[in-house]
Amino acid sequence: MTLNLCVLTPNRIVWDSEVKEIILSTNSGQIGVLPNHAPIATAVDIGILRIRLNDQWLTMALMGGFARIGNNEITIFVNDAEKGSDIDPQEAQQALEIDEMHNLACLFVNVK
Amino acid sequence: MAMAALRREGRRFAPMISPRPITALRSSPLAPSLEDECPIGVRYISTQVVRNRMKSVKNIQKITKAMKMVAASKLRAIQTKAENSRGLWQPFTALLGDLPSANVKKNVVVTISSDKGLCGGINSTSVKISKGLHKLNSGPEKETKYVILGEKAKAQLVRDSKKDIELIITELQKNPLNYTQVSVLADEILKNVEYDALRIVFNKFHSVVSFVPTVSTVLSPEIVEREAESGGKLGDLDSYEVEGGETKGEILQNLAEFQFSCVMFNAVLENACSEQGARMSAMDSSSRNAGDMLDRLTLTYNRTRQASITTELIEIISGASALEG
Repeated sequence: MTLNLCVLTPNRIVWDSEVKEIILSTNSGQIGVLPNHAPIATAVDIGILRIRLNDQWLTMALMGGFARIGNNEITIFVNDAEKGSDIDPQEAQQALEIDEMHNLACLFVNVK
Repeated sequence: MAMAALRREGRRFAPMISPRPITALRSSPLAPSLEDECPIGVRYISTQVVRNRMKSVKNIQKITKAMKMVAASKLRAIQTKAENSRGLWQPFTALLGDLPSANVKKNVVVTISSDKGLCGGINSTSVKISKGLHKLNSGPEKETKYVILGEKAKAQLVRDSKKDIELIITELQKNPLNYTQVSVLADEILKNVEYDALRIVFNKFHSVVSFVPTVSTVLSPEIVEREAESGGKLGDLDSYEVEGGETKGEILQNLAEFQFSCVMFNAVLENACSEQGARMSAMDSSSRNAGDMLDRLTLTYNRTRQASITTELIEIISGASALEG
């Protein structure tokens, strides 16, 4: 009994295969989904999705969207998604710094 | 008799006596369209006129061939995007259903068309369907409004339905299409227009020669609730426990907005593909027509040339024989 997971974004299909378990982060906290979960439709926050395949955990970053779980089929539909392995830590760090400086600059402009 | 024989032979055979243009003075059977360009009194078309015509037709043929190739390359670029975005609206349809027959008070018809012309009949079919939907859904308590994307639909709908138009958006394809842009657009529409059901009219791209006009329906959350309670296709929406957020209504609202922006994204991409495909086939048929026209003009040109040469020959020969005899 495995779950069929489908992660979709407007531009492409990020993931479409079977998994054992997932941990999803929603507005009201993190939920874990195992096979034979009750049918549920929920909003997904910007956060991390963990996927377990055979004792190995994979992570994916999601930019918010919806998830529909029913009949051992999970459809997660987000604005954008990136697999953990595809993210370059250096690049991400630089982007983070640029964003932080941008935020600070905005603060200054607002204060004036 | 001898002259008639010579004339007949001259018409069958093409001697290159002199290539200079001659304005001949006898009549000959020619296509009626060319005769309007002659001044009165001349019963022949000058080869100059025919040659100018041939030159312009050849230029048009080159331009339409180039436009066809440009459309083909643009089509290839957008086609992959459109196919990827097709998987989008399936989870929504599975969850929320697609009910074109939902009976609602406030309909909004979103017509998607192109900005540039020369793309065959796709814009006219979209406008026809939008008008049909408008007629279908107008009555004592129901009303229909238009939201127009693209110049061509605007030109056609502004003429007779000006009071029903809520929003007009043009120049969509200046920057390459991506989801963020479309979602901002969807946001604008949702903010400014009150609706119970949104019907998006676009041309779905099945293949390079087939574009089917389609209507996608997105219902507002209140209508979704109403339909879910009455059973039918949306009955199993209630079997899902809805989490995340305070109330079920808020989630459904978010869901409806998301669904609208995804369906719009898919619709806009498909319409762009259909536009390029239609332009390809329109330009192809016009290149072929230009080729046919060129053939006919070449025949006319040759006939004219030969006739004038024959006339000159006949004059010379008859002059010579008059001198002798």
